[in-house]
Order: sequence, then C-alpha cells, then structure tokens
Amino acid sequence: MGQNFFLAATSRTPEVSIDPDTHSAAMSGECYPEDTEKFFTELNRALSDYFAQGASSLQLEIKLVYFNSSSARALMELMDSLEQRAADGAKIEVRWFHDEDDDVTKDFVEDIAADYRNLDLVLIPTLDS
Amino acid sequence: MNLAKFAQLREILPEDRFMLCYSGYVSESVLEAVGGTLKERLNLHLTEKKKIKVVFSIFVELMQNLIRYGSSGPKGIHIPNDEKAGFGMLMIIEDDDGAISLLSGNYVSAEEKTAMESRLERLLVSSPDELRELMRDQMRKPPELKSKGASLGLIEIARRSTRPIEAAFVPAAGSQYFFSIKAYV
Repeated sequence: MGQNFFLAATSRTPEVSIDPDTHSAAMSGECYPEDTEKFFTELNRALSDYFAQGASSLQLEIKLVYFNSSSARALMELMDSLEQRAADGAKIEVRWFHDEDDDVTKDFVEDIAADYRNLDLVLIPTLDS
Repeated sequence: MNLAKFAQLREILPEDRFMLCYSGYVSESVLEAVGGTLKERLNLHLTEKKKIKVVFSIFVELMQNLIRYGSSGPKGIHIPNDEKAGFGMLMIIEDDDGAISLLSGNYVSAEEKTAMESRLERLLVSSPDELRELMRDQMRKPPELKSKGASLGLIEIARRSTRPIEAAFVPAAGSQYFFSIKAYV
C-alpha cells in the first residue's frame, strides 16, 4: 500500500488528494497560485511518486471552479504527462467538471482533449458551483 | 492633494454604483488583498455567480499583467521587499447600463509599445472562434516562442470580455507611454 498524498486548499490553490488504495485522485477549489510553477511541480512529483509505487491505473476528478491562464498551461502540461503514461500502458481516466455556462473552460478542455489518443478525458457539465 | 482636488475626485467617481479603484505598486500580495476585497464586494453587489466569476478572472489576469510587465514608471516608485511588482492603476466600475468595466494602466517603453501594438491589433479584431484558436496555438507554443505571441493573459481577457476590448497608449514623461486596457462584463 502506498502513501496517501494530501494538500489542503488555500485561498489561491485547490485541495488535492491522491489515494493509492482506491487508485483515485481529486483536485477541487480555485487555482491561481502565487507561484504556479512551484505548485504544479509539487503536484507532478506526487503523481510520479504514485506511479513509481507500481500503480497502473488512476481515476482523477477535477472540480476547479476557477483557474487562471498560467494554471491553464500548467494543467495542460499535467494532462500531457498523463497522456504519456496512458500511452505507456497505464489506464487513466480524468473526469473534469465544469460550470455549464463556462464556455472558456469547456473550450479549453475540449481543445486539449482533442490531442489525446490514450488518456480518457471526460468533460462533465455541472449546474452552478 | 488639497481638499478641493479631493472633492473633484468625488465628482468623477460614482457613489451609487459599484466602484473599486487601486493605484500603486502591484505585487502578488497586493493582488491577493485587493482580490479578497473585490470578491467580498461583488458577492454583495451581484446575484449572478457567472458574472462575479468572469469579473474576478479578468481582474486576476489584469493584475498579473501589471506584476509581470509593469515598470516603476517615470517617477520610479518604490517597490518594497523583494517581490516582483510594478506600478499599476486599476478601476472596476459599473456603468449606467449595468455592465461592469475593468480598466488597468501601466507604463511601457517605446520599444514595448511597438511590440504590444501588433499583438493587440490582432486581439482587437479577432472573432470568438479566432480567439479560441489563438489561445490553443499560444498554449502549445514551445517556451522560446511564447513571448512572440500575445500573452495567454491578454487572450483570456479578450475571450472573457463580453464586448471587444479597447486599448490605448498615451505619451508620458521620460519617453515612456501610459498603456491602458479596458474589458467589459
């Protein structure tokens, strides 16, 4: 059994959890970190640790009510790395929840998902948040 | 500032509608403090959650542009600590028709003005679909080419704005220009 990973939410960063027992991870809240690179480096390291422990599948739920443009690029890079892991054989499903009337987020996720062949990235519209 | 000038300022700023104004150095900690005030006041003033979110997201991109590209200006304002910061002005104001205008301004050099003008020109005339494409292209650009396009922040502002964004350059002291940009929600 691997180690759980947990990051508490702050006013500018989301809560993040990774549970090796259930092969699930979740990210929820707002994301416009003071230092985007530092925040996402920590997240990428936690995911690398998760897969280094021998995990071969992951279900990730993203419920970000708001993220800024630098986080958008970092999130895309995170999805790129998951796509690579999926191409290498891991079974990865990402369920990305977004406000039904938030077209910018919907377009963003659709546009990045169009480039993925292995990662299962699903957009789920929600009412209000 | 004498009292007569101060009273004149009151005439310009409305009392009966939403208004938030900031002038000074902008750093990440200023963004956080002003952002907290903005959120609290928007929540009291507006009922539509989507509108609050869009105003807040444009605010964050404007402030981060001021932090990244702002300079200390012709008068060389003092920036405390070691924070990355620049001088900037911000006004968020509700117009007569209920639309909220977000305006920000900062000083740029003549060289920066030339570089920004060509990027802005494209942004100002792009349709929503073209902006989406621009965003996608810029997002996928390798790091060495990232600075050649409009920043993601500016594209995001143009996409979220419910009317075309406006921008202007006004000559200032020390061969600098005061750059201002306006978005609507």
